Amino acid sequence: MKRERAAAIVSRAKGLAAEIRWLLGTSLSAILLFPGNSAAEDASQGAQIAATCASCHDPAGRGQAIPPIVGLDEQRIVKAMLAFRASESPSLVMHAVALSLTDGELAVMARYLTDRANAGRQP
Amino acid sequence: MTAWTRRQIGGLVGGALLGVAAPHIARGQGRPRVIVIGGGIGGATVARYLADLKSIDVTLVEPNSAHVTCFFSNLYLAGLRSLASLTFDLETLAERHGITIIRDSAVAIDAPGKGVELQGGAKLSYDRLVVAPGIAFKFAEIEGYDEAAAKIMPHAWIAGSQSELLRRQLKSMDDGGVFVIAAPPNPFRCPPAPYERASLVAYYFKQFKPKSKILILDAKDRFSGQELFQDAWSRHYPGMIEWLPSQFTGAIKAVDVAARSVVTEGETFRAAVANIIPAQKAGLIGEKAGLTDASGWCPVDPVTFESTLQPGIHVVGDSIIGGDMPKSAFSANSQAKACAFAIAASLTGSPQFPPHLFNSCYTFLAPDDAFTNALTFAPEGGRIKTVKMLISKVGESAEARRRTARHAVGWYSAFTADVFGGGS
Ligand SMILES: Cc1cc2nc3c(=O)[nH]c(=O)nc-3n(C[C@H](O)[C@H](O)[C@H](O)COP(=O)(O)OP(=O)(O)OC[C@H]3O[C@@H](n4cnc5c(N)ncnc54)[C@H](O)[C@@H]3O)c2cc1C
Repeated sequence: MKRERAAAIVSRAKGLAAEIRWLLGTSLSAILLFPGNSAAEDASQGAQIAATCASCHDPAGRGQAIPPIVGLDEQRIVKAMLAFRASESPSLVMHAVALSLTDGELAVMARYLTDRANAGRQP
Repeated sequence: MTAWTRRQIGGLVGGALLGVAAPHIARGQGRPRVIVIGGGIGGATVARYLADLKSIDVTLVEPNSAHVTCFFSNLYLAGLRSLASLTFDLETLAERHGITIIRDSAVAIDAPGKGVELQGGAKLSYDRLVVAPGIAFKFAEIEGYDEAAAKIMPHAWIAGSQSELLRRQLKSMDDGGVFVIAAPPNPFRCPPAPYERASLVAYYFKQFKPKSKILILDAKDRFSGQELFQDAWSRHYPGMIEWLPSQFTGAIKAVDVAARSVVTEGETFRAAVANIIPAQKAGLIGEKAGLTDASGWCPVDPVTFESTLQPGIHVVGDSIIGGDMPKSAFSANSQAKACAFAIAASLTGSPQFPPHLFNSCYTFLAPDDAFTNALTFAPEGGRIKTVKMLISKVGESAEARRRTARHAVGWYSAFTADVFGGGS
């Protein structure tokens, strides 16, 4: 199940991966094929990483200055984080955060945020 | 006196008082109990994140019913925010997150017996204790400065009545007066904040008292964000702010409250308004409970934030020796989350992952000119080390600075919702 989802994301995100691979020195497939944890562990790790997001992103998704992250799909989040990792602009803070997450952490976090949004709850 | 909140009274049977009557029952049955001392940024965050896991019973001990944030209090001093907009009722943590709140102060901790004694006389027992009491002042280091003197020459370094006092003084000051800020030695709460204060008060003076001056008597020879501040001062407030490093003055030694003067090694400065920010140490309960070392701060494990001096007790926020982490609300919030997950792991067996520690502060130079930094940290060799540090640059476009100021406002509302459980 998890592998299937990861594979689907890999294909959706391939175009972006090609664009920024040279910047990252890695490939998007590597990011999404992190070693398997149990689902519960993923959720717990996702919750722990996503707790960081809540220091700046309003959980209710309000506020224009710092864009809301509630309701973004997994692929959008990974894509955005890879772009933030690659460049200091447009956000110093997001550049630092993206650099500090491993590929596996990034994938787990993105999945957690999406699952939470789909379950109709806030991250 | 102990004051119980509404929910506290409703929840007494399963709550903290059971521990008073029969600690063995409280610990033997039901959910493990965590007591958090201090409902400021670090304490409220730990309490909220632990309570949201549902598997842990959380009691928060805090004497105040509401928290006034220090961050953005410099905007209040400049007349740009109301104090009410910086005030957060702790009741939200009880109502929405099921935290039991006890309005009282902790006066003693029995680490081997796992108990906390409150000023009102109650004794509480815990499975884990978190201590987040913020800062205390080393009054003795400035002759003539103490709690009573602070009512005339405010520090305004804990927000609330001190901020109101300083604002009143600045408002009633005659045009042409000198506002003296005594900036403290390292380490202290929020390294850029004395200079942000100078910037925003200069903004206020420029509009209403343009002949007035600001004199910063520093206990240091350098300060955080120095280039960015000095650039902004010459752009926005030319000739208005003078910064005197310790090497020129020998730093502040004494104050004369009656004469409204501030005395350095070689000189005496008369102030129309004096803002004395003394040297700092961990909140007093830290020292009382044997959590501090010779530095006056609390050493902790960088992964779990458990005290290295008292097992079973965790410390987060300004009270700790944070390695490279500055004493900021953002740091306190980041440490608190790492600490909450570590406590959950040890009490309930939930998996624990490497902590992510961050700091990002927004600093105002003028209402539409702000800069930011972003730091990431990781535990290394028993201490917290900086991994990456990024900071805004001198010479950025006005538009970039305006955007950062807008981000700051967005950050404030999201961050306070995260800490105090509001928002959603
Ligand atoms: C002017 C100024 C500007 C700032 N700007 C920023 C900023 O822009 N960004 C940023 O990140 N940080 C900023 N800070 C720093 C930030 O306010 C602090 O770092 C933060 O409040 C630290 O959190 P804390 O939980 O350690 O302490 P606090 O938030 O001070 O909380 C401590 C709490 O413990 C309680 N307490 C103490 N002793 C006891 C006891 N014995 N029993 C029960 N309760 C007790 C107190 O009543 C208090 O509520 C600023 C600070 C100042 C002064």
